[in-house]
Amino acid sequence: MKQLVYLLFLLSLTTLSCTKEVEIDIPEYNEDIVIDGRIETNEPPFILISKSQNIYSPTDINTFINGFVSGANITVSDGTTTVVLEEFCSNNLPPGTESIVSNLLGVSEDELANFNICGYTSLDPSIFGQVGKTYSLKVELEDKTFTAQTQIKAPTPLTNLYWKVDGNLLDYGYAWATISDPPGQFDAYKWEVKRINLDSNGLTLDPNFIAPFSPVFNDDFFDGLTFDFFYDNPQGYEDDIIDETTGLYPKGDTLVIKFSKIDRDVYEFMEKKYVQIATSGNPFATPTNIPSNIIGGALGVWAGYSPTYDTLYCYP
Amino acid sequence: MKTTITLITFLFVFQILSQENSTLSGYLKDISSGEIIIGGKIYIPKLKKGTVTNTYGFYSLTVPRGNYLVEFRSFGMKTTKKNINLTTDVRLDLEIEKNLQNIEEVIVNANAEDNIKSTKLGQLKLDINEIKTLPAFMGEVDVIKTIQLLPGVSSASEGGQGFYVRGGGPDQNLVLLDEAVVYNAAHLFGFFSVFNADAVKNVNLIKGGMPANFGGRMSAVLEVNTNDGNKKKIGVKGGIGAISSRITIEGPLKKNKGSFIVSGRRTYLDLIMKAAIPDSSPFSGSSYYFYDLNLKLDYEVTKKDKIFFTSYYGKDDFSFGNINDNFQVDMPWGNGIASLRWNHIFSSKLFMNLNTTLSDYNFSFGSSQDEFRFSLNSGIRDYGAKIGFTYFPNARHKVKFGADYIYHTFTPVSVSAESGNTTFDTGLAQKLFSHESAIYFLDEFDINENIRLNGGLRYSTFQHVGPFTRYIKGDISTPDSTIDYGKREIIKFYHGLEPRISLRWLLPGKSSIKAGYSYNYQYVHLTSLSAVSLPTDIWYPTTDKAKPQRGWQASIGYFKNFLENRIEASIELYYKTMQNLIEYKEGALPGDNIQDNTDNLLVFGNGWSYGSEFFIKKRVGKFTGWFGYTWSKTERKFEDLNNGEPFPAKYDRRHDLSIVTSYKINNRWTISGSFIYATGNTLTLPTSWYVQNQSLLFNYGQRNSTRMAPYHRLDISATWYGKEYKDKIDIETGKIIKVKKKLRTNVAISIYNIYNRANPYFLYVDNDGDFLAGDFEITVKQVTLFPILPSVTWNFEF
Repeated sequence: MKQLVYLLFLLSLTTLSCTKEVEIDIPEYNEDIVIDGRIETNEPPFILISKSQNIYSPTDINTFINGFVSGANITVSDGTTTVVLEEFCSNNLPPGTESIVSNLLGVSEDELANFNICGYTSLDPSIFGQVGKTYSLKVELEDKTFTAQTQIKAPTPLTNLYWKVDGNLLDYGYAWATISDPPGQFDAYKWEVKRINLDSNGLTLDPNFIAPFSPVFNDDFFDGLTFDFFYDNPQGYEDDIIDETTGLYPKGDTLVIKFSKIDRDVYEFMEKKYVQIATSGNPFATPTNIPSNIIGGALGVWAGYSPTYDTLYCYP
Repeated sequence: MKTTITLITFLFVFQILSQENSTLSGYLKDISSGEIIIGGKIYIPKLKKGTVTNTYGFYSLTVPRGNYLVEFRSFGMKTTKKNINLTTDVRLDLEIEKNLQNIEEVIVNANAEDNIKSTKLGQLKLDINEIKTLPAFMGEVDVIKTIQLLPGVSSASEGGQGFYVRGGGPDQNLVLLDEAVVYNAAHLFGFFSVFNADAVKNVNLIKGGMPANFGGRMSAVLEVNTNDGNKKKIGVKGGIGAISSRITIEGPLKKNKGSFIVSGRRTYLDLIMKAAIPDSSPFSGSSYYFYDLNLKLDYEVTKKDKIFFTSYYGKDDFSFGNINDNFQVDMPWGNGIASLRWNHIFSSKLFMNLNTTLSDYNFSFGSSQDEFRFSLNSGIRDYGAKIGFTYFPNARHKVKFGADYIYHTFTPVSVSAESGNTTFDTGLAQKLFSHESAIYFLDEFDINENIRLNGGLRYSTFQHVGPFTRYIKGDISTPDSTIDYGKREIIKFYHGLEPRISLRWLLPGKSSIKAGYSYNYQYVHLTSLSAVSLPTDIWYPTTDKAKPQRGWQASIGYFKNFLENRIEASIELYYKTMQNLIEYKEGALPGDNIQDNTDNLLVFGNGWSYGSEFFIKKRVGKFTGWFGYTWSKTERKFEDLNNGEPFPAKYDRRHDLSIVTSYKINNRWTISGSFIYATGNTLTLPTSWYVQNQSLLFNYGQRNSTRMAPYHRLDISATWYGKEYKDKIDIETGKIIKVKKKLRTNVAISIYNIYNRANPYFLYVDNDGDFLAGDFEITVKQVTLFPILPSVTWNFEF
């Protein structure tokens, strides 16, 4: 909310202010290992390992692809079963993992073969995510060891989902939901969405789930309460034309909501991550490094999710 | 008790020493308005002794009995000479005339050599008329922007009101409006100050060697004294400017006894926005404005008693609405200040000021969208009382002693949130209560003709008292918990001695060396999440967890006047240390203090600053102005920030230069210019990027390790004065005489940033494009706020 006000203030100054690209000396950076790992209910663990890049380093596709690191020894344990993960590449995926990797990389399943992005997983069902378990990750790479833990929390499904018109716009509205938060414990949630109605080419509008601007929240202020809340449509903000319908779902859309429970450390990571994205370029914001739950000096997160899925038809 | 006995003994000794002397005392006033003159000089050439009037216009000079020619002087006033037989104590309230002809020699003598003769180190005084001739940003004459042009004082950012003195933070400046504390001296997110120039008489900045009668802040004192009303006749003055208009009405409550003055100022940005945004627009509910109201009353109850009442109320109101989204934001904030003072003259040698003050600052934020409603309040309220005595035992001593007390109520955050019929649990409104008090004693003592010592001691205390709830965050094995303290329960008590000393050693050739040392405690902190001062910054007291800021400053300076005191010059060197400074923890976010104590989000560290300041000022003549240059270095060290390594403060600047000039072409035209150059501000930019789940994220390196481009800007202004006098035939003599016109006007034209320098306001790292599509790039962008900006203001007086 605070950022919004400052952004509005900045907007009011846009008639006077101007922005230009500048060359400036930025001090040398430390090359860090980045671990992007996840495990969801009934799905195998997936780990991508890369290295952080100098702020002025090239940002072409080759830099991106070559940034992924091979040769790590990785194990995942649920406390009783420990499994060694195998390295895989996006052009040679184990059968059945395409949609998961597609979601992870933001690349459509058809295009996966065009990229040679390598990660780590295991198709051993004994290590697939289960609610209530805590999963330990151990990564050995270049004489360094990184460890992390995450929990797959018991999910809290949404009790109701509906679409409601907004203000004077009769054909546009937000996606509303009702939640009954379990009392007496810390709960944190993540909202993701994809529109599954078909475009003019017969393809789904959104092949993958997308997170809105601030997709995570916790129950600090509503522990044990039942209430309604809404999320906007994250698509459209980067279009050339931003108008009063931007951020709203038109009547007729069909949405799949992925509503996940996350543990406190993953919430901390996600909260700071989305704050950093939202406040980029805001002079009133404090530079925020994103706190990792990985011990050993790596960036990134080892995240457990317990999603529930609901479909919402956007009709009054 | 011990202190009282020592004090009484002191005064008794002084009394005995002064039995062969007589005292000349009284008030010095302006004959045209009856207004008191601050800093006026009373001088006996035969004895080469003198004194100056205090903040209340009172003076007292004790000298050996005799018959003397006494001179009464003040800047811009005619020197008045009087033969006074001082065989006994004499009370003389004198009204002196304005120097209408502006004869340079007269002005040269007024207060000449003050800068070399006083013990004041790191002190600068500005007359409001001097400030009014300088270029004004968007036509608004601004006290704080002028202060920022002085050496040792830095501005926070382009157009900003926050000012940093000798490496101290903006919270370390004690800003006083007629002795009442002003907590947020800014309007419009910091672009304008709360001080309406029409209501201000003079401005005094103490940036080092703070005397013992001031306390509660570490770095500086900015004293703003407001105008008294005209005790002789009703007068009106005002101005119409580019963004605001103002009006001042003053006059006698009772002729020569008491007066009133009321000033008001309001911006029209809301009216402009209303005109620009049609009613049909979804944003038609958006607006912004601010206003100020100043009131001052003074009354001379008896020859020995005067009372003053000052009040200020100012408010900013920002609102934004989008009808389509049912979205509305309202954000008002403002200061309310009042002070009631009683001056009493016990004798020609003992003057008392008793003062009660109220200072209030409040910030609110409310928003609603559909069924959601959210509101937030924060603020601070002080009730204060001060008693101060000035004792003039003889011409060699000037003693001040007194006591201060403030009862603080801090509201760091109070939040409520609702969705439909569901009220969220946002915790209790947090309030913190504390008592701050101090006693002080100081003596300005002429050891001999050349050496003057100003030594003082201040003893300050601070009590954090209940009710209070301490939130204790648990870990995996321990749940969160709270400790509740009862009403008036003492949670923490701090106290400390604050020695202050400054010494002046007069040298031949109108020059002097001065040295000073001061130790200060500060019991309030300003917590800020952003790089610039904002109304959302939270004042927070010392608690059991947040210890008082404390530190010392040592400075030494060489002062010299040239060309018969027309030019003053000085070089000052300083070193200061600061302990128990605060910053937010890495990654703290707005709202994290809801259901928590703000100090749980803070980390604590130290700082130090050193530098040298050069100042040359031409005070009088057609051509006036100053040149100021500061070389300084300011660093911070926090165990929990930057891996415990020292880092530059965000306002660390190696070079700060300002040149301010004014040239009076004739009685109708004055032109002015100011140029500033400053090393770029520091900031923290990302040094590397990485990708997590399709998002490009940044990793920040060393704190404040990047510097923006240098800041420089030239502003100019021209002021045209309408004819102040008109010719009239004197009925009695038949001669043509000059009489003051009823309506006097001037037009001030300013051009800000005349060569349109694109100065950096802030930098950010931007990313654009699609990684997989191959058009992705990361760039550093600079935002510049103000291009060349002309403005015109019409001022009137009748």
